[in-house]
Amino acid sequence: MPPKKTTNQKAAARVPRKRPATTDPYEIPEEDEIEPPKRRRHAATAAADTDDATVSTPSASRLKKTVATPIKLNGLNGIDTPSRKNNADRSARRKSARALVDRVISGAISDDEAEEGDIAREIYESSEDEEDEEDEEGEEENLNGETEPTTTPSKFAPGRKRKTTTTRTRKRSPTPPRDLPPHEQYFFQNKPGLSKTSNNTLSSLQLLTHDEYFSLSRDLSSANPHKTDITHLASLHVSSFPQWAFELSQSFSLCLYGYGSKRQILHKFATYLSSHPPCSLGQANKIVIINGYTPSITIRELLCSLASAVSSPTTTLPGILSYLTTHPNTTLTILLNSVSSPHLRKGSFQSIISTLASHAQVYLCCTTDSPDFALLWDSAVGTNFRFLYHDCTTFCSYSPSEMEVVDSVHELLGRKTRRVGGKEGVAFVLRSLPENAKSLFRLLVGEVLCADEGDGQGQGQGEEISVEYRMVYNKAVEEFICSSEMAFRTLLKEFHDHQIITSHKDALGTELLSLPFGKEELEGILEELTT
Amino acid sequence: MFTAPPTTTAATNTSPTTTTKSAPGRPAKRRRVSEKDTAAPLPAQEKDDEGRQWPRLFNGFESPSAADLRKKTYESAWPVLESEIESVLRDANRQTLEEVVEFLNSDVHECEGRGRVPAGFIITGPNIAGQDLLFSQLGDVLAERGEGRVRFVRLKAGEVGNLKGGLKRIVREGMGGVEGGDGGEGGGRVVVAFQDSEAFDTGLVGELVGLFHSWQDRIQFSVLFGIATSVELFQARQLKATARQLYGAQFDVVQANAVLESVIMAAVAGAKAQLRIGPGLLRKLVRRQQEHVAGVGAFVSSLKYAYMNHFYANPLSALLVDGQKLDKEILQPEHLEAVRMLESFKSHVEQSVEDGRLDHARLLLENDDYLKGRINRQAAKRQQYLGKLLQSLALVIATEHSKRSFVELYEAALEEGISLDQSPGPFDLGDAIKRSTPEELIGLIKRVMTVVVDGNPSLHWNGMGIGQDAEAAIDKFEALRADVERLIETSKKKKTSLKSKYSSQSRVLRTTVVAQKVQLSRDTATLTEEDNAFTAAIDDFFAFFKTLVGCEPLSNLFLNEVWQYDYHLPYEDVFVPRPGATFARALSRPHDYLGCACCDKANGSMVGTLPATSILYHLYSEAGASINVADLWAAYYALVGEDSEIGMDERSALVLFYRGLAEMRAMGFVKQSKKKADHIAKLKWL
Repeated sequence: MPPKKTTNQKAAARVPRKRPATTDPYEIPEEDEIEPPKRRRHAATAAADTDDATVSTPSASRLKKTVATPIKLNGLNGIDTPSRKNNADRSARRKSARALVDRVISGAISDDEAEEGDIAREIYESSEDEEDEEDEEGEEENLNGETEPTTTPSKFAPGRKRKTTTTRTRKRSPTPPRDLPPHEQYFFQNKPGLSKTSNNTLSSLQLLTHDEYFSLSRDLSSANPHKTDITHLASLHVSSFPQWAFELSQSFSLCLYGYGSKRQILHKFATYLSSHPPCSLGQANKIVIINGYTPSITIRELLCSLASAVSSPTTTLPGILSYLTTHPNTTLTILLNSVSSPHLRKGSFQSIISTLASHAQVYLCCTTDSPDFALLWDSAVGTNFRFLYHDCTTFCSYSPSEMEVVDSVHELLGRKTRRVGGKEGVAFVLRSLPENAKSLFRLLVGEVLCADEGDGQGQGQGEEISVEYRMVYNKAVEEFICSSEMAFRTLLKEFHDHQIITSHKDALGTELLSLPFGKEELEGILEELTT
Repeated sequence: MFTAPPTTTAATNTSPTTTTKSAPGRPAKRRRVSEKDTAAPLPAQEKDDEGRQWPRLFNGFESPSAADLRKKTYESAWPVLESEIESVLRDANRQTLEEVVEFLNSDVHECEGRGRVPAGFIITGPNIAGQDLLFSQLGDVLAERGEGRVRFVRLKAGEVGNLKGGLKRIVREGMGGVEGGDGGEGGGRVVVAFQDSEAFDTGLVGELVGLFHSWQDRIQFSVLFGIATSVELFQARQLKATARQLYGAQFDVVQANAVLESVIMAAVAGAKAQLRIGPGLLRKLVRRQQEHVAGVGAFVSSLKYAYMNHFYANPLSALLVDGQKLDKEILQPEHLEAVRMLESFKSHVEQSVEDGRLDHARLLLENDDYLKGRINRQAAKRQQYLGKLLQSLALVIATEHSKRSFVELYEAALEEGISLDQSPGPFDLGDAIKRSTPEELIGLIKRVMTVVVDGNPSLHWNGMGIGQDAEAAIDKFEALRADVERLIETSKKKKTSLKSKYSSQSRVLRTTVVAQKVQLSRDTATLTEEDNAFTAAIDDFFAFFKTLVGCEPLSNLFLNEVWQYDYHLPYEDVFVPRPGATFARALSRPHDYLGCACCDKANGSMVGTLPATSILYHLYSEAGASINVADLWAAYYALVGEDSEIGMDERSALVLFYRGLAEMRAMGFVKQSKKKADHIAKLKWL
């Protein structure tokens, strides 16, 4: 193997100090011969140590081997370098090296062996390549003035080197590998430093406002090229209504998933159910549609509507259930839009719905818009639901009440949005802030509400009420919330970061602070802060 | 405050249909009477019923009475099984319940664990879905036995977040009536069950137990823990102080596998099951139970769905009526045509032709009345087959020589039939039976006789009845038993041990002592007269046993499609959905769903006519972990913009782009990223 000779020599040149001259070149380093990494950092002493050790205890087997293998100059001592490869690699290589050598020695090659030999050579050479690479690297390091005389691997060296190796191989193939399985792709795309995206921004593009969006989307929806196809698809779903109703009647719940808004379908299904109820003869069926995508949805409100639908006197969950049990002629059909919407993801909500669904007189059909809905339910909740899943891909676009398109996109882009999680959002932010930040925010809310009162109804709708920065600062100092403007600014910055306040300057250049919330919400916040 | 678009609806709005009462004004009672009185439904009633009728099959050509018949058959077939399953499930927990209740009521802890809180550790296994049933049963039993003095409080980790909440609940549910007495009444007892103890905060359990302990002299507390892992692990999580306050006993719930097996015996294999679940589907269902740790409830649901599917969607299921004679009026030309399309019909005709029964084959194909007659006869044949199948299975189980589980045996029986000769095979009992010692043989004969007489209750098979066959079998077995007993007596007198030529003992002797062929024959020759007689008895028994055990594979039977259900697809779609793949398909190949002309040629690639979200999805799957929205927009606009074939103006394109992006976000594909301006992060790798 002529081309490998140089590297082998290099390796040999670096290593021999550690070994007695009599070492068999084919001797594969045994596990205990590879010095523990600790020692290698102090190369000089370590080398001396090992020298001593090997000299003082000459092993018999080694001597024997020296006699037994006369072909010393074959230049295979590349294997001799304690490899940086992991053990598995090394042993594969070791075995193949042995096989090759044995073959050379024995001379006779049968067909069978030839094949084996090829494999062995392949293994040997493949690892040789890598070795080459590493050797080159080692060289580089040496050139860079690394004075450490031994290139025996230390625990720390390989880490550094490996890094350079990887970057180098990456440079070699700039095109990303194609057709990777998803998990491989994940790791490939998440390699540190890999993501290279351009620095283009959307600054040149004028973003959409709500008004523009709505006026344009109205025109667009009528000009949708797929309109007839979508209607046809919906009609296919409609044709399975009898089946769905039958499934409901057999005390299963339905879960409709798939891309597109399913609101229309669910409404049609409600109409269908009103004339073809899933309950048996003589039972009165009440249908309630719940829109899970509404941000302000609460469990209490939901239970109230359910209770009023079946005219149950109590609005608690056990109350409704026991009412149903005592009135076997009343059944309740719940049609739930977007069961996986972010507002319904709390475990308590899901378990309440599932408890309802497990009642024999309650029929549940829900839709879901995200592919990960199955994660919402643990097996206990899932068993209560007794779901049958149906692919209900509609390709319908979501109605404005289902999805706040403009806000959602702007939030995604980190642009200013008008809503920041509402009251809960503020409470959440404030919980992580120090006491004086809370006091400051309380002060601010109070001031804004006062200003609102003062202005009376004169303020136009949509206009946010602002208070003067200077005034708020003075009040804050009075109330010992902060002592300097610096501290005040720091506190405000925190609010700015969480987008719970906004500031702007008026025509005169006075700095104004305002809160992006409605009056009711502000009152709610104030109440929560003061209690 | 965000101003919602004008169409925002309230959180919950009752649909306009809410008030529409589905039931017509007529009182229910009267209708029920009229139903009973008149065999044929009144026209008016039919109209009422319309809403509940099943759609007609054969493209709507099915007669209403046939559709109705299917519905009725379903309604009679399933509830039987449902109650059967329920009783199996209740029985499964009964023993555990008894033990727990006994422990709670016993006075053992009075003396041994004085001052400590009695604690029952119920090992439920990893299936938390089953815990609910167990604990609700426990509550019922305790309430029943305690005569109102025992109060049962169930705590779930999800509902009890902290000490305060837990105590509130316990006080509310547990102390309701006892409060006035406040320790004065010695009779009141409170049992607190931590249903999913692993999910509770460790400290919380400790604190609660500590409180119970300190109140123990006034209120008698007992605790129960539902444990999914093991008591050791549970103890390791608790403080030693807590452990010291508990005086515990461990209870094991019947493992899910055993429960599943008895459910399958009762509801799938048993005689009460009208529909046979095919071996393929059954295997799939059982595997899902094991791999997904799904509760038995999931299996029962799947079973029910199979029944629903069969009767709802297969017009031929009408042929499976309960009565012996199928009303000939029901059978319409479509039914016969459908029957002639069946795989089993075809192979039956082919078989008849091969056997030279050409007339029979021709009549089947051409003569409708002949076919109707055949169809009517298949019900009896089905019963016959089932009887034989269950008899074989019951007998095979009774030998106790089969190493396979019942489910495996059943699957094999349906798939390949039962044949004792086939070796190696699931029913390879020959060797095991022949090797048995005299005592074992007598035990075996006894067991087999019991099965022949009494049947197998868990399979609902009632034995061979009182026919000639049964009597003959009993006589035969009696005679054999008497023979063997006599032989045992004789050999006892002679002080030799009775053995057969199959018994492994003699074989072991010859191989270990001398391993030469000459000795082999001598060894056989050493069999005494009784031994030979015993060998003959064994052979006799096995030969007769073989006549009792054996059946064909299910798929060989004529018209088996009428009462076999073996389809995977509906089950998989409905119970184990793959939403990720569904979404990916809809987005990457909208043509599959829309069937539109414009995207016909796309075939999974990206063209401008696709819906915006679909285009974004294509771009998204090509992008890296971090996506520049500006570039995304540029790429999108290049496809649909003014320079492309679509020629959309910028603002309209932007509206669609916004919509697509918002939808991608709602589906969880992207999220906001703060790494760079106008960048979003990828969340899914599909």
